[in-house]
Amino acid sequence: MSAGTALSLSGVTKHFGGLTAVDGVTIDLKSRKLNAVIGPNGAGKTTLFNLICGEIPADDGRIVFNGRNLVGLKPHQIVRHGISRTLQIKSVFGGMSVADNVRIAVLTNRRIMAPFSPVQSFRGVTARANEIIEEVGLAVHYDDLASTLSYGDVALLELALALAAEPRLLLLDEPVCGMGPEETERTVATIKEISRRIDVVLIEHDMEVVFDIADFIVVMAQGAILATGTVADITADPQVQEAYLGPPEDD
Amino acid sequence: MTAAYARALAIAVLIVALLAVPFVLPAFGATFWVSIATEILIWSLLAASVNLLLGYVGLLSFGQALYFGIGMYGVALSINAWNVGFWPALAIGIVAASVMALLTGVFAVRLTWHYFAIITVVFSLIFYFAAMSMKGVTGGDDGVSFSPPPVLKLGELELTLVDATTQYYVVLGVVLACYVLTALIVNSPLGLAFKAIRENDRRAALIGINVYRTRLIAFVIAGALAGTSGALFAFFGRYASASYMFYHVSGEAVVWAIVGGAGSLLGPLFGAGALIVFRELVSTLWEHYLIAVGAITICVVMFAPRGLAGAWNDALRLAFTRIPDEPARRDAFDRRNASEGGEAAAIIEEKR
Amino acid sequence: MNELVFALAVNGLVWGLIIALIALGLSIIFGLLDVINVAHGDFFMLGTVGGLVVATSTGSFWLALAVVPLIGLVLGAVIERMVIRPTLRQASLTIVTTFGLSMIIQEMVRAIYGPQPRRMAAPIEGTVPLFGIDYEVYRICAAVFAALFLVAFFLFLNRTKLGTWIRAVRHDPETATTLGIPVAQVSGFTFALGTAMALLGGVIAAPITTVEFRTGVDVLPFCFMAVIIGGLGNLQGTVAAAIMLAVLEGLVTSVTEPTIARIVSLAFMSVVLLVRPHGLFAGATR
Repeated sequence: MSAGTALSLSGVTKHFGGLTAVDGVTIDLKSRKLNAVIGPNGAGKTTLFNLICGEIPADDGRIVFNGRNLVGLKPHQIVRHGISRTLQIKSVFGGMSVADNVRIAVLTNRRIMAPFSPVQSFRGVTARANEIIEEVGLAVHYDDLASTLSYGDVALLELALALAAEPRLLLLDEPVCGMGPEETERTVATIKEISRRIDVVLIEHDMEVVFDIADFIVVMAQGAILATGTVADITADPQVQEAYLGPPEDD
Repeated sequence: MTAAYARALAIAVLIVALLAVPFVLPAFGATFWVSIATEILIWSLLAASVNLLLGYVGLLSFGQALYFGIGMYGVALSINAWNVGFWPALAIGIVAASVMALLTGVFAVRLTWHYFAIITVVFSLIFYFAAMSMKGVTGGDDGVSFSPPPVLKLGELELTLVDATTQYYVVLGVVLACYVLTALIVNSPLGLAFKAIRENDRRAALIGINVYRTRLIAFVIAGALAGTSGALFAFFGRYASASYMFYHVSGEAVVWAIVGGAGSLLGPLFGAGALIVFRELVSTLWEHYLIAVGAITICVVMFAPRGLAGAWNDALRLAFTRIPDEPARRDAFDRRNASEGGEAAAIIEEKR
Repeated sequence: MNELVFALAVNGLVWGLIIALIALGLSIIFGLLDVINVAHGDFFMLGTVGGLVVATSTGSFWLALAVVPLIGLVLGAVIERMVIRPTLRQASLTIVTTFGLSMIIQEMVRAIYGPQPRRMAAPIEGTVPLFGIDYEVYRICAAVFAALFLVAFFLFLNRTKLGTWIRAVRHDPETATTLGIPVAQVSGFTFALGTAMALLGGVIAAPITTVEFRTGVDVLPFCFMAVIIGGLGNLQGTVAAAIMLAVLEGLVTSVTEPTIARIVSLAFMSVVLLVRPHGLFAGATR
């Protein structure tokens, strides 16, 4: 694994019964660059994320992060190793306030599980949680129950939770899905800001967003990698044009 | 006067009332009710063990009677075999129950939803039948009796359980200690982890929580609570019996927890209190009061799944919080005070 | 000694077939409505009581066999509509609802019928020599009845429109709705059918068991064992598991006590739950 590689996959494969959802994917995702994974529906993008995060076991292949093969590890162990993700269908801790949502993520990151001290007493944790909530722009909803948030705000909360785990690699699954233009702009700016210090890989359908911020693009189709490269590379690629490119999809 | 102040005041009143029971009730000619109050306190711990798992972690256990029974037998057998004192016997009962919870929890906690409920019953049945079969040790249904050692022996002064008032205060002390510990846990980082798992266990794993281990910890704590209940009950009845390990006992505890309000700290006390008082009052009038209890259970699930505590919290909110007039602030107010209707479990969000 | 073992094994087979009938009722309720019906054993008990009452008051066991399951159908439909359906919103609390139901049913029977256990005379008396022992004729009849009804159940499920609807809703309620199947009514009918099967099992079993308000408590864990070990979506597996477990328990009882046999079955069930929650037999769809 060379320096400058955020995550290295070789031969990663997953079958569901007769269907091969991910077919021998081999790719080095770049560090210090914003990577984007694009492709038509059913290309296997989210399944790939699920494999990386350990939510489903890979049938074959290696996923190397920071010198360690992640295949076979449990999801919470992979988070501890420094990979965080957001989900395609946004989901957070609905019955808890925004503040508590982020607090538990910070507490977990700092391995604090003290059973007899009140949560409030951990000032450092609250301070860090406040920082993150500010960064994603949710301060106005600090005390609100997560279940009352708008869809766009839930996405931001998910982002906050992912950041609280102090990841070195952030996997974002359709981060602006379901957002209006203003929210999209804000979120994209936040992601750009984050990508300066954390490696990011995002799955996205919104081509405008991808062409705007992505440095390195991976095109998937039918479980395999169709093409990789910069925006210029893939727009020029005839295979990609044939398989995928059309008018930019919005949601 | 805010809702939080009112709540604190209510708890203070409750504690004073509980402390005054052995003096107030006999004044009304109801000495017998001191005994009932003692029973309510003891059983409320079993309901609390169900409540911890259901209301805070989102796991419905239908087998807490097993740990209750182990607590009972821990006390009875250790006193009969080794002549230990009151407090050591109590400790043995609690530790034995916790160990059993650990051994069974390692397996049970791997399952969720209905399968978890089923396996908790299965485990309790296995040990129930084992206890019934080992009649020599456990006395089966008839059980094993013992004479409880004194609670305190300082030279000439001796406090024993024979005196109903002493018994009440000892039980009250232990039970209050358990509630205080539970309150601390629930408001701690561990408690927040419980809630996160209850809300969304997939998300919990994705922020790095070891869901299995956290559930196991909760299961053992719940086992300890149930064991404490059983140990106290053994002292109360001066005996231990395998019949208390049967799933009917577990089921009753679930009913108390639900009626009291799952997810609230004092819900188990009110649930157990309400239904035991109901039993005492109605059973003298109508032999088949269980029909009413069954009906109440069904009605609570249908109409008031957040139980008594839910109704109490709603009343507080109604009485003590002033609703802002401007629409924008009203919106924010509603958001802050909204609470989950309740898929997985009835929860009461305790706000700061 | 061999005769005893043989008798216990055949008893096991008879019971296994009856339990299979009841367990299938439990399985379709669990599988389709996602409800753990703690009262299912009590439905069986209602069948035994109903069988005894109808048979002794009319003098005809056959009438009981016909009428009691029909009562079960109606009872199940009413309970589903009035008690189960309104509480389905609190999905994890349905077990509490059925527990309350179980309390009510047991206590009502205790109140109306009385706490005394009774025995019922078999409609067909006499024994038949079977491999060296004199075996009760009625037990063989009971096994035959149970087997016939099992066959009828599978025919219903696979050959009739309503049966197909039930299978569709069990498999995928959302798709079933888009296909125009009235899911709510099918659920209601499924609960009614499951209840009726439990009561039917009760009538068949009445002459060979004690009839009292607590009979259901013993039968319930056994049914759950059959459902879990057989596999939740696997009806044939449930039948096989019921028979297998009953025969096994019968054989184990011949060397130790019944409680040990029960512990062994329960331990076996735990292992299946932990290792293969979809059941032992291949073909479980859920």
